[in-house]
Amino acid sequence: MAARIVQEFTKGLWKEIAPLRFALGICSALAVSTRVDNALGLGIAVVFVTCMSNVLISLVRNLVPDKVRIAVFISIIATAVVIVELVMQAYFYPLFLVLGIWIPLIVVNCIVLGRAEAFARKNPVALSLADGLGMGLGFTLSLLVIASIREVLGSGSWLGIAVLPDGYPGFGFLLRPPGAFVIFGVLLAAMNVVSKRLEKR
Amino acid sequence: MQDYLLLIIAAMFVNNIVLILFLGNCPLVGVTSSMESAFGMGAAVVFVTTLAGTACWIVQRFALEPLALEYLQTLVFILIIASLVQFVEIVLQKVAPPLYRTLGIFLPLITTNCMVFGAAILSIKRDYTFLQTLVFCLAAAVGFALVLVFMAGLRERMEVSGRIPAALQGVPITMITAGMMGLSFAGLLGMAH
Amino acid sequence: MESVLTAVLTLGALAFAAGLLLSVAAKVFYVPVDPRVGQIGDLLPGANCGGCGFAGCLDLAGAIVSGQTPPNACRCASEEANRRIAALIGAVLKEREREVACIFCKGDAAHARLRFRYLGIADCRAAELVAGGDKACAYGCLGLGTCVNACIFGALRMGEDGLPVVNPDRCTACGACVRICPRRIPRLVPVSQKAIAFCSSHDPGKVVKEVCTVGCIACGLCKKVCPENAIEIVSLLAVVDPAKCTGCGKCFEKCPTGIIRPASGEAPARRQAAA
Repeated sequence: MAARIVQEFTKGLWKEIAPLRFALGICSALAVSTRVDNALGLGIAVVFVTCMSNVLISLVRNLVPDKVRIAVFISIIATAVVIVELVMQAYFYPLFLVLGIWIPLIVVNCIVLGRAEAFARKNPVALSLADGLGMGLGFTLSLLVIASIREVLGSGSWLGIAVLPDGYPGFGFLLRPPGAFVIFGVLLAAMNVVSKRLEKR
Repeated sequence: MQDYLLLIIAAMFVNNIVLILFLGNCPLVGVTSSMESAFGMGAAVVFVTTLAGTACWIVQRFALEPLALEYLQTLVFILIIASLVQFVEIVLQKVAPPLYRTLGIFLPLITTNCMVFGAAILSIKRDYTFLQTLVFCLAAAVGFALVLVFMAGLRERMEVSGRIPAALQGVPITMITAGMMGLSFAGLLGMAH
Repeated sequence: MESVLTAVLTLGALAFAAGLLLSVAAKVFYVPVDPRVGQIGDLLPGANCGGCGFAGCLDLAGAIVSGQTPPNACRCASEEANRRIAALIGAVLKEREREVACIFCKGDAAHARLRFRYLGIADCRAAELVAGGDKACAYGCLGLGTCVNACIFGALRMGEDGLPVVNPDRCTACGACVRICPRRIPRLVPVSQKAIAFCSSHDPGKVVKEVCTVGCIACGLCKKVCPENAIEIVSLLAVVDPAKCTGCGKCFEKCPTGIIRPASGEAPARRQAAA
């Protein structure tokens, strides 16, 4: 059992890392990755939502009739998101302002509903929690990678601390929306190359 | 009148909902492999977004705000969108079977499409009037459909060319193309904000 | 306490309204769906190849139930599946012979003349758009493998001579290659057909001779020599009727350009020796 839990947890971090493998949940991943701190904030919010929705859905999985399951799942997810929204508004107001509509939009993040449909409704609570945690952290990880590239190359800093020499002019393109698409495309291609190399070995 | 025209141009091109606001990126990858499905999805989204955006606006103004329940916005909106999509599906199947056959398979996808939800939230956030909401949702959705169709056209040609490096095939090249497309859309920035 | 109550009541009322709307709509706009559609859909291969002319397997299932098409309209389904589909809708199945794709051109680089060197996009449809392709013959295979890519069953590969080769064991006769070829060179033939005229050219013999050494020149010798009257010259191209052909092989020897061959496509021994 313990081995299964570990396996379900770790698959979300590399083998099935959602944004980079399946291009799931990329909307918010691209939108908030201009700075590492924003990415971290949204990542933690998503981890909370995936964990909570997976656990709750796993708990009620035998009670919900098949026909209305999507409606029930979405309500559960929306509730989790509202909690995150209210907590952020109360304790992390500046972050709440920066992330803006991307907090409520976690509801429609494909990863959350996808995990509910594909995993939580068929598996016991402990495994679902591990899966939710892994998938959420995988999302956070992808976000951090994209945000690190964009922040370091775009404005020469990381988490607000300057890392490149003072004279660095900043590569503004990367901070704009089109730059996000290009960086993400290049990252996916790099990911393809790396995993092919690993497979060959 | 001019205000509405500017609103349309801003929503459709300058702040294109897919390329600049990053809403609805999943279908950008998922249903752009053929022109036909891009068109179907685009049409379905235009229909549902306009309907859902205005419905959400009405509920927000006449139910949530008077009762001081704005914090339930997320929950209520998703409820409205989900039931609206299902409703449209049922009605379409009966009233217009040919339309259902082309749009039907895309409707379930739309429930969790962030573009519909995003347009509804943005209309509230920007304090639009009812008419502005209607125009904004319609224009934004048309902008979405436009990008989808453009992308499908480009991808059909890229597939034929057979010159995409193996690592870039599929999603990566789609993303890079989207970036290029976003640049050209951003070029219209001077026209409206 | 009061605010909690309003929240619960509002949400409950909204959910109730939405539920009511949907259940009423489901009753008012009820469309009866025949359960057999789903059952037939399960029996079909599910490749959604479109070979039957319908938009995917479920669409075909609907057409079968409504009687628009015979129950064995799917070319890819096994005979067992076809029988079970027929049993489901209570129809008697007419036996139909299996078909395979066949490439109706033998004009490889050694035999067919080129008009120019084509270096463009490696796709027959693209090449066809560039001044009608590099082959001097307007009917010949362009050999860029568009049909090979179109085959989702892996039944086509590119031969060393630059012409596609069919693997009859894998071919399901879905017709994807037939539809995608800009020159309609792959065509479907019954699997038992013994002699095939491997050419698509409708040009007169003089033109054919100028552009290709393995084209049908419509001389009619095959028609004369055939004891079964199985060969016709249809608009300057020999066509073998599979129902009449016995595979005696007389036409193989007589054909001056050697394009009437056994269905395997290989030239008969006599010709190989001569060449």
